[in-house]
Amino acid sequence: MSRAASLKRWPGWVLLVLVVAGFLAFGSTRDGGARTPEERLEEISKQLACPICGGETVYESRNTSSASIRSEIKAQVSTTDASDDEIIAYVVQQFGAKTQLLPRATGFESLVWVLPAVALVCAAVGLFFSFRRWQRNVDTVPDDADRAQVEAALAADDAPAIDVLENEVAES
Amino acid sequence: MFGSVVIAEGVNGLLGHSALIVGFAACLFGALGLVTATTLRNQRLLRTVQPYGWIALIGAVVAIAVMVKGLITRDWSLAYVQKVGSYDTPALFNFTAVWSALEGSILLWLLLLAVYTAIVMRRYRHRLADPMVAWALVVMFIVTGFFFFLALGPTDAFRAAATPDFTRCCKGPNPLLQNHVLVLFHPPILYLGFVGFTVPFAFAIAALVTGRVGEGWLVETRRWALFAWGFLTLGVILGGWWSYEVLGWGGVWAWDPVENASFLPWLTGTAYIHSVMVQERRGMLRVWNLSLLVATFSLTILGTFLTRSGVVNSVHAFSDSTIGPYLLGAFGVIVAVSLVLIGWRGDRLRSPGAIDSPVSREGAFLANNVLFTLFAFVILLGTVFPLIVEAKDNRKIAVGSPFFDTMSQPIGLVLLFLMAVAPALPWRKASGELLRDRLFWPAWCGAGALAFAVFVGATDFAPLMAFGLAGFAAGAALRQLALATRRQGYRGLLGRTNGGMIVHLGIILIAVALAASNSYTRAGEFTVNKGETIEFAGHTFTLVGLTDFKTVRAVGIKAEISIDGGQAYAPAISKYTANGMDIATPSVKTGFTKDIYLTLENGSKPSTGEAKIKVFIKPMVVWLWVGGLMCAFGTLLAAFPGRNRRKPTDPVSAAIDLSDAPPEPTKEAAGV
Amino acid sequence: MSDVERPAVADVDRRSAVGPSRRRIAPIIALVVAAVLGGLFWVLATSKSGVDDKTGLVASPLIDRPAPAVRSTTIDDQPFDLARRKGSWVVVNFFNSRCVPCKAEHPELLKFVQQQATFPEGAEFYSFVQPPNSDADIRSFFAERGGNWPVIRDDDGRINVAFGVAQVPETFIIDPDGVVRVRWAGVVDAVTLSQLVQQQRDLYGVR
Repeated sequence: MSRAASLKRWPGWVLLVLVVAGFLAFGSTRDGGARTPEERLEEISKQLACPICGGETVYESRNTSSASIRSEIKAQVSTTDASDDEIIAYVVQQFGAKTQLLPRATGFESLVWVLPAVALVCAAVGLFFSFRRWQRNVDTVPDDADRAQVEAALAADDAPAIDVLENEVAES
Repeated sequence: MFGSVVIAEGVNGLLGHSALIVGFAACLFGALGLVTATTLRNQRLLRTVQPYGWIALIGAVVAIAVMVKGLITRDWSLAYVQKVGSYDTPALFNFTAVWSALEGSILLWLLLLAVYTAIVMRRYRHRLADPMVAWALVVMFIVTGFFFFLALGPTDAFRAAATPDFTRCCKGPNPLLQNHVLVLFHPPILYLGFVGFTVPFAFAIAALVTGRVGEGWLVETRRWALFAWGFLTLGVILGGWWSYEVLGWGGVWAWDPVENASFLPWLTGTAYIHSVMVQERRGMLRVWNLSLLVATFSLTILGTFLTRSGVVNSVHAFSDSTIGPYLLGAFGVIVAVSLVLIGWRGDRLRSPGAIDSPVSREGAFLANNVLFTLFAFVILLGTVFPLIVEAKDNRKIAVGSPFFDTMSQPIGLVLLFLMAVAPALPWRKASGELLRDRLFWPAWCGAGALAFAVFVGATDFAPLMAFGLAGFAAGAALRQLALATRRQGYRGLLGRTNGGMIVHLGIILIAVALAASNSYTRAGEFTVNKGETIEFAGHTFTLVGLTDFKTVRAVGIKAEISIDGGQAYAPAISKYTANGMDIATPSVKTGFTKDIYLTLENGSKPSTGEAKIKVFIKPMVVWLWVGGLMCAFGTLLAAFPGRNRRKPTDPVSAAIDLSDAPPEPTKEAAGV
Repeated sequence: MSDVERPAVADVDRRSAVGPSRRRIAPIIALVVAAVLGGLFWVLATSKSGVDDKTGLVASPLIDRPAPAVRSTTIDDQPFDLARRKGSWVVVNFFNSRCVPCKAEHPELLKFVQQQATFPEGAEFYSFVQPPNSDADIRSFFAERGGNWPVIRDDDGRINVAFGVAQVPETFIIDPDGVVRVRWAGVVDAVTLSQLVQQQRDLYGVR
């Protein structure tokens, strides 16, 4: 038992961290091989919306225009050295911004990226202040006013209230 | 009744309308009666209110029954039957055609709402004198009445129609809604979840109105919320399964606005069923919990608005209708009333107590809530963002799956981490030693999962993190279950915490399956001749047959493909003759570690024996469905706790029972 | 419940000592929440519903820009190069043989082509196929409905993509310099199309 307990102190945890870091590093950096044209086609077509079919991606859609866009992407992937972004930009230029599924990070559209970050920061700051406030409450030692209230409550002979107050006094 | 001035109404139309009017009147009388009786404290009047719950239910049942009868007998005098009925639809899909368009889906919603109302009425029939129960029922009646109104006016399912012109009408439901049996299960189960959140919402409003914002109302609604949450989870998973089986692109989730609309209340609902425990234990987060319930319910309405009014572009959306303004109005009213009530009762909502340390069970729940709310915010923002841009600049943009994938990945990973740590955290405050001790084996579980994933060939940082954290979380859940069952035997699986751990395991399975299938799917497109064999990803595919087929409803092409020389799988494409829509029917070989998913593509020619096929190798997909089932099972266990509500294994700190106690002054004075 | 009011005095004193109190923050949070929800409500209430099935003149990045290069074959296996059609006004129509509006539009196109043929400087007319569409289907489409102008294959759909055509029928008017001048989405009738061509001629000259 004591050996198990000592294992759970720092040596066990350090070993754990090393193992996890090692596997993560090995797994995420090993080469998955160069992307095949099919993989590129898939990745690009998942970034584009079918121009006329209610938000489906070009990848999913069985619409004829999506089929045409897929063969365009296929042709560009295999015959030109255009990058993924250039191919996407080409299709978006032809069919309009409503086919671009990943919003731009510039102009008004950047709000869709910025607002979640702002919300996260607000939440974190809010939590920080809440905890600080709670912390102070915890640290508060019962003072005379508190004692007076306890007395008053006892005098009022209000059983549940007494429990509550006693609990709180005991806790603080 | 509405809009049927010129055309004579048939028997079914008359019956349906009458049933709806009776139901509407019952809700009206029920709500008015309860309000009057409660404010005047009139016991006799109170007793007369009871039957209205049943009458409303009967109205809704009769309305649905009439619609089913109309569809079965092909009563073309109903406009709705002309819209979704046809002589050729098989019996099953003719039945499910009831909810295959807007008007009927409102009827289904209405039916479930009336069922909930009647059950609440029955369950609390002896406690109607309690103002909180009375006000909750008032809210239920109002909401039900609103849906009766919708079914009568804006989406009149029983509208009379002119004599059908069979060259143009009566083509049956959308082909996608008539080729898989899941159409029978997914919509009603999802709606049971959506509609179910009305009950906790009603009690939350009642608590605000009566000012009894202590914990009493929570106890009443805990199971209702769990029940609704369970159905919502199951419904969402079934939706993914349906999409996988029917849409033919090999995916389960496309971040389509309609899918997002069902996911939003799930997120806030999940946040609620966690944070509610903080309130039960510590009496804190009252405003927050009320807000979460209001958010969940109003998001179900908002989601219905988004998907039923045609403002967002979606493959699921029913074509635009007149219902939009009413649903949006309802959303506005719900939010405004709730905000005003919370503001009005703000004084009593200030909760006593403090969360001592961020490293505690309640601290973890708080973090969980922040993340779930943030998640919901991100998804709502992404869904409505195109509308915002259009309102501002009058140009059309799209926000789609790449955005949602990018955003949900980090949030999902952090949630997995919380899932791993939270079960081991005690209430109030955790010490470093305690965590070191409790988390040791779960953490090694995670390391083991990671090692195993790397060993079988997984690559990339994000999915590897997902596997490692999933193993960690699974270890924590299993540890909890092991401790509980060691002390209590099978009863250790019951109760909120332990049932909850089973739900956690289900969610972990889903997370792993999604990470694996999204990251490691391999897809290939091939042109194969009859008799030819191709090889892909270590499997061979032989085209055994390629034939034309013709059914009453459709013409199509069916391929038979033998996988690895074994059984033949038969993907097909059909063209539904009435609608002219091409529907792909994929064929899936399901396995424990991977699915082989075959689709037949346009351009296949049976005459020349040349087939165009697409092959997807998708790892771990089956665990999505297993995980969904585990969630449902775990919810069931959590909803029916053992006799001991407080288990001896739970870290103890005396809970403050505030349900009957007056708000105590000490902490108030401390300015909480 | 009377307990709540009792320590009111102590309440105020103590609160000021505990940093930013809830009483000050709460209204701000409430206002922010209300404003966000109000904004959401406004956006949703004013947004137009429904799909935009625009028929008529529509925007295109191609307008006033050189037409994309098109090299393909006609269904009679003749080579076709759009760049070689410079020197005269060119009208191109995208269609496929299964599309119902295209069938409705076809008689109007026939009329238009016959009309242009009577002018000395009449516009040339070409149909581009939206794939997948077999030669046989196209031939029977034309055999049934008439018309003998060149029909250009686009088996992999790249011409459609280059013109940004998602939904047929669509019609483009290209000037003698090979610059795209007009894009018309949806069904067009002979009178409108002739007028459009004439307008463009008046604007940019016959050459």
